[in-house]
Amino acid sequence: MNNPYLPKLATIQKVKVETYDTTTFTLRLDDSGERKAFEYRPGQFVELSVFGAGEAPFCISSSAHGRDDFDLSVRKVGRVTGVLHEMGEGGQVGIRGPLGNCFPFEEVKGKHILFVGGGIGLFPLRPQIQDVYRERAQFASVTVLYGARTPEDLVYQDELEQWQQQEGMTCLLTVDTAADGWSGNVGVVGSLLPKVSIDVSNAVAFVCGPPIMIRFVVQDLSGMGFGDDAIITTLERHMRCGIGKCNHCMIGDKWVCKDGPVFSYREMRAMAEFEE
Amino acid sequence: MTARRRAMLGEADVWALLERAGKRGPLMAPVKRGRNSFAFEWVEDPGAVALRYVRTVLPPKRAMFPEREAFLRFRRPPGAGAEAVVSEEPYVLFGVHPCDLAAINQLDWAMGRRHEVVDPNYVARRGAATIVGMECLPDEYCFCPSVGTCDTREGADLFLTPVGSGYLAEVLTGKGRELLDGRVSGREASSEEVGEAEAWSETKRRMTSCQVDAEMGELADLLDSRYESQVWEETALRCYSCGTCTIVCPTCFCYDVEDRLDLTLMSGTREREYDSCQYPDFALVAGPHNFREERSDRVRHRWFRKFVRLLREYGKPFCVGCGRCTQSCTAGIGLTSVLNAVIAEARESAA
Repeated sequence: MNNPYLPKLATIQKVKVETYDTTTFTLRLDDSGERKAFEYRPGQFVELSVFGAGEAPFCISSSAHGRDDFDLSVRKVGRVTGVLHEMGEGGQVGIRGPLGNCFPFEEVKGKHILFVGGGIGLFPLRPQIQDVYRERAQFASVTVLYGARTPEDLVYQDELEQWQQQEGMTCLLTVDTAADGWSGNVGVVGSLLPKVSIDVSNAVAFVCGPPIMIRFVVQDLSGMGFGDDAIITTLERHMRCGIGKCNHCMIGDKWVCKDGPVFSYREMRAMAEFEE
Repeated sequence: MTARRRAMLGEADVWALLERAGKRGPLMAPVKRGRNSFAFEWVEDPGAVALRYVRTVLPPKRAMFPEREAFLRFRRPPGAGAEAVVSEEPYVLFGVHPCDLAAINQLDWAMGRRHEVVDPNYVARRGAATIVGMECLPDEYCFCPSVGTCDTREGADLFLTPVGSGYLAEVLTGKGRELLDGRVSGREASSEEVGEAEAWSETKRRMTSCQVDAEMGELADLLDSRYESQVWEETALRCYSCGTCTIVCPTCFCYDVEDRLDLTLMSGTREREYDSCQYPDFALVAGPHNFREERSDRVRHRWFRKFVRLLREYGKPFCVGCGRCTQSCTAGIGLTSVLNAVIAEARESAA
């Protein structure tokens, strides 16, 4: 029997420090057959094993296009992530997945695409941003709004610079608290929304960030005229088993690990335990 | 001898059956632990098995879903690796009351066929079990008639009902027939004996004093209408979030996972253990954000899970009326008291 709790072995190919507490690990499954079978879509997550420290869920933060490895961007915050951050290239970890559902892609072609990310909420949005931009002609417009607490907290800085200069894409940044050398916008990420002029009747917003940020941004988007189906987010819960058994990630009658982690605002509002 | 579908066994036959079961492999059965306290345990001495008891502190689910269980062996890098650990050793689980049989059926669904993916450890242990059910009489905590579990036979391979000085044995599966075959000299039960066994159901109903004041079919809607009830707050004021109610529950199946290193620090096991939605950190994630921070949120979650969400999905409440949580609650919170208070509120506000 195929044991869903048994991780596949993977090796760390590359370690890129993003900020003082976040790092992107590029992982490659050791077995070539498992590599071929490992097909994922933006929005999906994996369970990462750091043997001896434990297992924790992380969204895949890179597009699958043209690669046989994948990125996990991780904030050092607990036991598993703490030990992972001590590991370097060649380090061996375990992977279960890909798990969960994914962001809509084909369904949103032809629309204005708005990404709103807060802090490490940009991690799950990145593969979708990459895939959308790769097929840029299929979409009406692409806008990325990204905010962090301070300039030091901005992740993917090289890529942000690239997105800001890239043709056919608008990328606006903001920080809650400026520091020396910051000449950009200061304020919460929602303060960038008035600078966006798109036809909201033909637009979809992908939102991810801390719960408080999601709450306010969703209110702002609703105010701008985004319908409940046109606001898509990815939720964080403690997905332990990843297969709908352990119940740690339940919200009302939904499992984030198997019904999510991607939900529309309409689906979220229907959840008994969702707090607006 | 070929076992009959309904055989009469003397008490000596039942002891002989236990003796044989114990010789064949592991045997889990109720054992007396205190004045009025019983436990489902792996028994070395079949003579220690309690044939009559009202309820055990821990339910028999621990046979197929142990409170702590290693499900993976791993080696740390360099040379990292992992192998699944799954136990398939056949065993006999003896003396399971109808409510607990109903609970095992619910776990079979939850851990097995409910989602596309089955829990390999539960399913293997469950498949390795031969289950002998046992008829019982209620005490003041039991409410199996309200939740419709008091006549459960499904899940058992063999079911025993005390009749006269012996037991009427119902052979329900091939495994049950095999357990009985050639071991004990049963005789065909008379129609009077069958009638006496069947009368237990009525006796149980008559003796049960605790109840849920609603039909199961209307329960989910009634509770749903009182999501904001003060009862959750009032119950939370008394609750200690100790998690005893979920640990003793025969239908609760939430678990937590952790890695345990061997002394060499080079290898270890990944283990799971019972977790409780009542613990303050159950819904805690990095941030830190706690999605069920208020005790009243966690209290409500428990009743909603059993009587609204899982009831709608499974068709029956995820509660079998065993009374364990009420009897064990350190704060004296009664499951049916809380339920009935909310039901009364719902009826009042609808009136």
